[in-house]
Amino acid sequence: MGSVMLEIKDLWVEIEGRSILKGVNLVVGEGEVHILFGPNGSGKSTLLSSVSGLPGYRIVKGSIRFRGERIDGFRPDEIAKRGVGLAFQRPPAIKGVKLDTFIQAIANVSDCAPLYRELELDYLKDRDLNAGFSGGELKRSEMLKVAVQAPELVMLDEPESGVDLEHIAVISGAINKLLEKDSPCSDRSRSGLIITHTGYILDYVKADRGHVFIGGRIVCTDDPLEIFHEIQKRGYEGCVHRLGQQTIGDVS
Amino acid sequence: MSNRVQLTLEERKGLERVGYDEQQERSGTFLAADHRVLEAKPFSDQVEILPVALAIREYDWVHDLVFGLVDPDKDEYTRMVKKQMEPLGYFIRVKEGQEVILPLQTCFYIRTDQTTQMTHNIIVAEPGSTLHLISGCVADAHVDKGRHLGVTEYYIGEGATVTTTMIHSWGPNVTVYPRAAAHVKKGGRFISNYVVMSPVKHIQMAPEAVVEEGGLAEFYSIVYAPEGSSLDIGGTIRLKGEQARCEIVSRVVSDGGKVITRGCIVGEVDGVQGTMACNGLLVNPRGSIHAIPELEGKSPLVLLSHEASVGMISQDELSYLMASGLSEERARELIIQGFLDVRIKGLPEALHKTIAEMIKKAKAGEAV
Ligand SMILES: Nc1ncnc2c1ncn2[C@@H]1O[C@H](COP(=O)(O)OP(=O)(O)OP(=O)(O)O)[C@@H](O)[C@H]1O
Ligand SMILES: [Mg+2]
Repeated sequence: MGSVMLEIKDLWVEIEGRSILKGVNLVVGEGEVHILFGPNGSGKSTLLSSVSGLPGYRIVKGSIRFRGERIDGFRPDEIAKRGVGLAFQRPPAIKGVKLDTFIQAIANVSDCAPLYRELELDYLKDRDLNAGFSGGELKRSEMLKVAVQAPELVMLDEPESGVDLEHIAVISGAINKLLEKDSPCSDRSRSGLIITHTGYILDYVKADRGHVFIGGRIVCTDDPLEIFHEIQKRGYEGCVHRLGQQTIGDVS
Repeated sequence: MSNRVQLTLEERKGLERVGYDEQQERSGTFLAADHRVLEAKPFSDQVEILPVALAIREYDWVHDLVFGLVDPDKDEYTRMVKKQMEPLGYFIRVKEGQEVILPLQTCFYIRTDQTTQMTHNIIVAEPGSTLHLISGCVADAHVDKGRHLGVTEYYIGEGATVTTTMIHSWGPNVTVYPRAAAHVKKGGRFISNYVVMSPVKHIQMAPEAVVEEGGLAEFYSIVYAPEGSSLDIGGTIRLKGEQARCEIVSRVVSDGGKVITRGCIVGEVDGVQGTMACNGLLVNPRGSIHAIPELEGKSPLVLLSHEASVGMISQDELSYLMASGLSEERARELIIQGFLDVRIKGLPEALHKTIAEMIKKAKAGEAV
């Protein structure tokens, strides 16, 4: 078993005084890919935002460790610099900043051209960042962003929502490449934490673990395909009844 | 082509920052330092450039153009300009149908401390002609106190196009009162870009354009105001002929400076159209931006609109950029640059690039 990439312990987070995360425990090992399922508003995006250190997410209790180092309380750029990348569910538009200006400014890879090509984004290079991008274009450009950052921990917030079937294959291809899914497990150094509702991503990306998020905490952990099928059949609560409730601390 | 004029290397660098660049291809050049014309030279037979005093002597009709558009009794500054024995400035003419592709550069330079520079410029674009002007204004770094008062009158003939890009780099101790007016005849186009990226003690100006049938006027201002700068800038456009159109766009970043941005569009007859967008970004709590957009319709079938906004850098945008690994400083820089990156319509691509380059240079030279 490889070393631990991300370790979240009893994490409580408030937004504007309202408690959103209520004791999240999660461990993602090096080379592993985890999937987060859960109903709207259950706190999935809040969890990823908290890991990235975005302002407005007040951590009132618990800890977040990245490769052993406590990163809760760090600024977003400090966390990103350590190797954490987040593809936003809804990235903001930034007027006057061209997609390519942004990509070149953040790239840690030497050549972005192949990634542009792979994600079919060349034609958006000179457009203002996220401004007027279609739903699918937004998801592809977020994927490009994370791919050029080449972070060790790849967090993707609904990377395939609103994306047509052909482009889901394109995005999944990029995810697999980034996560080195073609290499044997022991050679992989990147880990993934992916939120999905549709489950399409599971057809392409081999994930190691799935978690069901309800009411601000992880209530069940199992094989991701198993979880997805149970959710399809019985809904989130039903799935939890069937697969059994996770108790706090039972995370690894 | 270098060393046409006796300037130190330091001075040349300062002038380059406002677009006066001896290395670049231009259709002509004009340079005045303090109270003296150092250079007035066309590089193409399509344009004529003369010191305005000389043009008045040479052509009897030029006399009538002097204060033909700007009221000499408008204020104390125009009165001071009027009282000059011999006006300092340029006369530029493009003959009928001539399309001058390369920009023509002009520059007013305050070289000596305690100077009050008074200028009067006349631009004549004959019917069907095209002219692109780059006008720089700069003061020497050693100038402790200076003043620039200028009258500029643009005569734009039928179907003619004049674009003018004015870049100011005055310094924290200079006060500036330009007074400009344009008359755009039938089907003519006047595009005026105004760029201030460096400190200035005080600028107050509001050019006016009158647009006849089917004509177009566009005013763009791009302003970065550091602490200590005070600017009151704006413009008035009167749409006087049917189908006349206009646009006023201002983008102001206040990094501690005090800025008033005005815009006024008057629709005098039916069938005219005008839009205005004044956007301000406050990046420093000591600064202020006061946007005053005005629309006046004098006929029922005019179509005038404006949008205005003043706000801070969006926290969402900032943290989005930072979450991709950019420092807060770099993220702010990107957002501010993007905010100021106004795509000016109707300019040739080469000139667009030149202006973008100039804005970058002007920004780089901004005092700390
Ligand atoms: N900036 C905010 N201000 C106020 N409330 C917020 C904010 N961000 C999130 N919330 C609230 O926190 C709760 C969890 O939101 P979150 O975005 O984490 O849900 P989610 O599980 O990602 O849902 P979805 O599947 O719809 O994306 C919601 O009730 C949401 O309204
Ligand atoms: Mg979400």
